[in-house]
Amino acid sequence: MKNLSILVVDDDPVIRRLLQQRLQKANYQVEIAKDGHEASEMLSGQFYDVVLTDLMMPGGIGGIEVLEIAKSLYSTIEVVLITAHSSVDTAVQAMKKGATDYLEKPINFDELFLKLDKISNLKTILRSAQDLQQAMDTTENVAGQTIQDLEMRVTGLQSRLDTIETILLDTNEDEDVRIVKALNLLAER
Amino acid sequence: MIKITPSELNMIAQYIHEISGIYLDQSKTYLFETRLGSLVEGQGCKSYQEFLNKAKKDPTKNIERQIIDAISTNETLFFRDKGPFELLQHKLLPELIDARTPNTPALKTSIKIWSAASSTGQELYSIAIILKELLKDASRYNLKLLGTDISDNAVAQASYGKYNKFEIERGLDQRYLQRYFSLLGDSWKIKDEIRAMVNFRKLNLMLPFSALGKFDIIFCRNVAIYFTLEDRKKLFSKIADSLADDGYLVIGSTESLSGVCPRFVPKRHLRAIFYQKTT
Repeated sequence: MKNLSILVVDDDPVIRRLLQQRLQKANYQVEIAKDGHEASEMLSGQFYDVVLTDLMMPGGIGGIEVLEIAKSLYSTIEVVLITAHSSVDTAVQAMKKGATDYLEKPINFDELFLKLDKISNLKTILRSAQDLQQAMDTTENVAGQTIQDLEMRVTGLQSRLDTIETILLDTNEDEDVRIVKALNLLAER
Repeated sequence: MIKITPSELNMIAQYIHEISGIYLDQSKTYLFETRLGSLVEGQGCKSYQEFLNKAKKDPTKNIERQIIDAISTNETLFFRDKGPFELLQHKLLPELIDARTPNTPALKTSIKIWSAASSTGQELYSIAIILKELLKDASRYNLKLLGTDISDNAVAQASYGKYNKFEIERGLDQRYLQRYFSLLGDSWKIKDEIRAMVNFRKLNLMLPFSALGKFDIIFCRNVAIYFTLEDRKKLFSKIADSLADDGYLVIGSTESLSGVCPRFVPKRHLRAIFYQKTT
């Protein structure tokens, strides 16, 4: 099993079926929606790594709306649009709205799998960066507390040393008295 | 990829220290090669020696700027490490406002805050957001929030105030995100009301900065860690000069001023530490 879950959204049953079969054969976890409405319901119930959606669909919820719904629910979701050649401009607009990529019809599966591989690699890198950040945050927290404790302690010791120095250098007192006072201060630990 | 020789490594490290104060561990050859490699190639140079000569002779100082951008670490996030911001909100700002509020109600309360290594701006914007939340009537205050950084790129990005989803997602509360940012394509842009509170400019902390005036609060977090002990001592002494007598200094949570600057004394508040000048 590949490490991506994919939601395929297309109103054309033939293309839907074809995508499902090819992606499953390539070991992706695939679910399908027959239009934007169904996709929207499925998305509100579950996260998918990738939404692969047709741009033009009937029923008020097209590819752009699916993109917007997906992005509003999950900021890390990747949306790839499938477009007719004539609507490439719309697809480019969609990328400005946060779509990851687009594919022109007829679908070239080699191209699709390449794009999915890239998404998968990116997600892996992102994941390891997040793990590193988390590890760094933890280390920083623990180290920070230790260092701050030491900082307060060193400051306390320094100020005691300063006081002892003042006492020992105070020539108005007898040496014996100075030493006793200094020893008393040292004993207060 | 062009390899860097030990003698080139030494010269480049010295040069970087001269122009930025950043001290790079020369045992980390990979750090030089990964961060500078594409610059060297981009300048059409065959070796680091040639690149260094070109950088030194460049009258526009463009290469120098690119080196600083490449070598400086801009790892930062909104409300990085909650402690200092809770400290600011619940202790430093309330105390400061009490101390600074004039007896004459007509006069404004003046507060100056400096983020000394502001990177791409997240720290200063976090401070501005806290001020906005804390001060019900901001018009009664004369606020000066300054962010400085050595990297031109970082200053430009901070000034623009636009962040991608990865930069935003880390550390920023959803409530603040909705209130103080607007969605711009796939990114988030800080709203004008917060943007208008702050200023960013380029500054090399190794150079004199007394012209900036005195500040009530200085954040100088996680930048001195890239400096030598000698340079750290000079820096914090200059910072002491730039801090109001009753002002506050906040440093990184893993940094220490013991043995660095006797002019500061640490004070603890809950899980955070801040510094004040010794009297």
